[in-house]
Amino acid sequence: MDTYLLTIAVIVGIYVLLSLSLDLQYGFTGLINFGLAGFFAVGAYTSALLTMRAGLSPLLSFPAAAILAALLAWPIGRVALRLRDDYLAIVTLGFSEIVRLVLVQEQWLTEGVRGIAGVPRLGAGWGNPRFSEFFLLGMLVLCIVLVILFLRRLTASPYGRTIQAIRDDETAVRVLGKEPAVFKTQILMLGGAIAGLAGAFYAHYMTYIVPDLFVPLVTFYIWMAIIMGGVARLSGAIVGAVILVFFTEGVRFLRGVIPGVSDAHMGSLQLGIVGLVLILFMRWRPQGVFGSRGAT
Amino acid sequence: MNYADFINLAINGLVEGLVMALPALALTLIYGLARFPNAATGDFVAVGGFGGFAAHQLTGSLIIAGLGGAAAGAAAALLAYWLAFRPVIRRSVITLMLTSIGVGFVYRSALGLAFGHEPKAFDMPLQRAMRFGDVSILPADISLAALTIAVLVAVFAILFWTPLGRSLRAIADDPDLARVSGIRKERSMLAMWTMAGVVCGIAGTVSGMRTVVYPDSGWNLLLPAFAAAVIGGLGNPVGAVIGAILLGVLQELATPFTGFVYKIAIGYVVMVIVLLVRPQGLFNRVQQVR
Repeated sequence: MDTYLLTIAVIVGIYVLLSLSLDLQYGFTGLINFGLAGFFAVGAYTSALLTMRAGLSPLLSFPAAAILAALLAWPIGRVALRLRDDYLAIVTLGFSEIVRLVLVQEQWLTEGVRGIAGVPRLGAGWGNPRFSEFFLLGMLVLCIVLVILFLRRLTASPYGRTIQAIRDDETAVRVLGKEPAVFKTQILMLGGAIAGLAGAFYAHYMTYIVPDLFVPLVTFYIWMAIIMGGVARLSGAIVGAVILVFFTEGVRFLRGVIPGVSDAHMGSLQLGIVGLVLILFMRWRPQGVFGSRGAT
Repeated sequence: MNYADFINLAINGLVEGLVMALPALALTLIYGLARFPNAATGDFVAVGGFGGFAAHQLTGSLIIAGLGGAAAGAAAALLAYWLAFRPVIRRSVITLMLTSIGVGFVYRSALGLAFGHEPKAFDMPLQRAMRFGDVSILPADISLAALTIAVLVAVFAILFWTPLGRSLRAIADDPDLARVSGIRKERSMLAMWTMAGVVCGIAGTVSGMRTVVYPDSGWNLLLPAFAAAVIGGLGNPVGAVIGAILLGVLQELATPFTGFVYKIAIGYVVMVIVLLVRPQGLFNRVQQVR
């Protein structure tokens, strides 16, 4: 049972990191990133491959995962961020699908659809697997705390006020002599780095990754999380991640309880619920479950 | 690999481009009036595909299959407009886009629950390909391409030769000016969503006849349709059709070099290049952002 709780805690933690990344981009800066799963995937595969093929220590592979995900965000920003908001949505959505295609196709590197098995656990050499799982959870929590502290400082700083001003009125910011596209690109990269870090944790916890773990549905899980948790509040990311895991685990629980339901049916049902939540929340409660009206 | 293979690929790409032109057109029409890229477009196509498939199963007639697909697509689009988009139509782009993602998920989920995930093939008579030297053409492809062209011609006839089309174009051009000129936006919206739905439904039926129908088929068509619409300039119907045909041929011709999996990627790369060089699209004038 406590293995189960540990798993839940780690998954919540990874979703928290992803939600923080998206909240920084959408909640604070107004960027529509529909390709979060792509950055997540890049982080996961980068760290897995660097530790396994190049024998790098996770101490180096985790930062590498974050850096590579951030670097990939740069050209996307260059292409899309001088255009209307919705172009970024299209370009990032395409990006995450292309990442998945590359993971499927470049088998010499990624093993294709068979996926990479045996990704080393963190601290595997020091003791039993239980220890390494707790160690990973500890590092994850530490990482979340650091990211939250950093984002709190960032959003309260002059820089933070600028990005929020870009979200609220881009023209005004431009009139004040600041180029919004530059700030937006930086935020896209920063968010990409956080998502890449989440991916590294995911890979080393799951120890087995396949391209199908990074479908666009994952991106919209996180959208669902930050919308339910409340956008532009760091606590909202945590609340949203918890609700999200309750939801995904609830669906798994139901599948176990209701007899004669196939995995495919449950998958469809899950997809439908995510869709309904997006529609209903955008219409009735864009401020989230606990938010107050007028915040968005 | 000789010249005939390339011609075969080009012909296949042409037909694929024509089929892709339909959702690209639907996307660009909705963008013109409602001002958001509708991510549920692909799923309207899938609903239309299943509608056409069901109609074909019941009657065996290809014409009724087409009508069934069109009806299912129109129903899907209108239902989505009434229940999901209309209440939030004045809100921000992101609200509309997330709503469209939600609508797409709901349709895909409903299709999966109702029909299962097994791909379904139309029960079509096998035909011998017509051969001209090494170049071969399937008779079915010719009739499907002809049907697609007929639909495109009909849509453009409505857009450019009828009062309804004129008001649609007027709203797309300048919503405020259109309103003060006494154009009824609500009626135009309904007409436009119906038209987009019909176009998507027929696309679903046609692509279902060429390949198979399955719940995710629409999603896989969404990115190429986005790419085609962006290449042609979002909101420009003629551009979307030309963009789709160009992309269809290019994708097929590139397949021998890049492999089948990267087909979608080619459209994406072309889109990115167009966005870098000519962000307004190949066929649009520079417009003010509204």
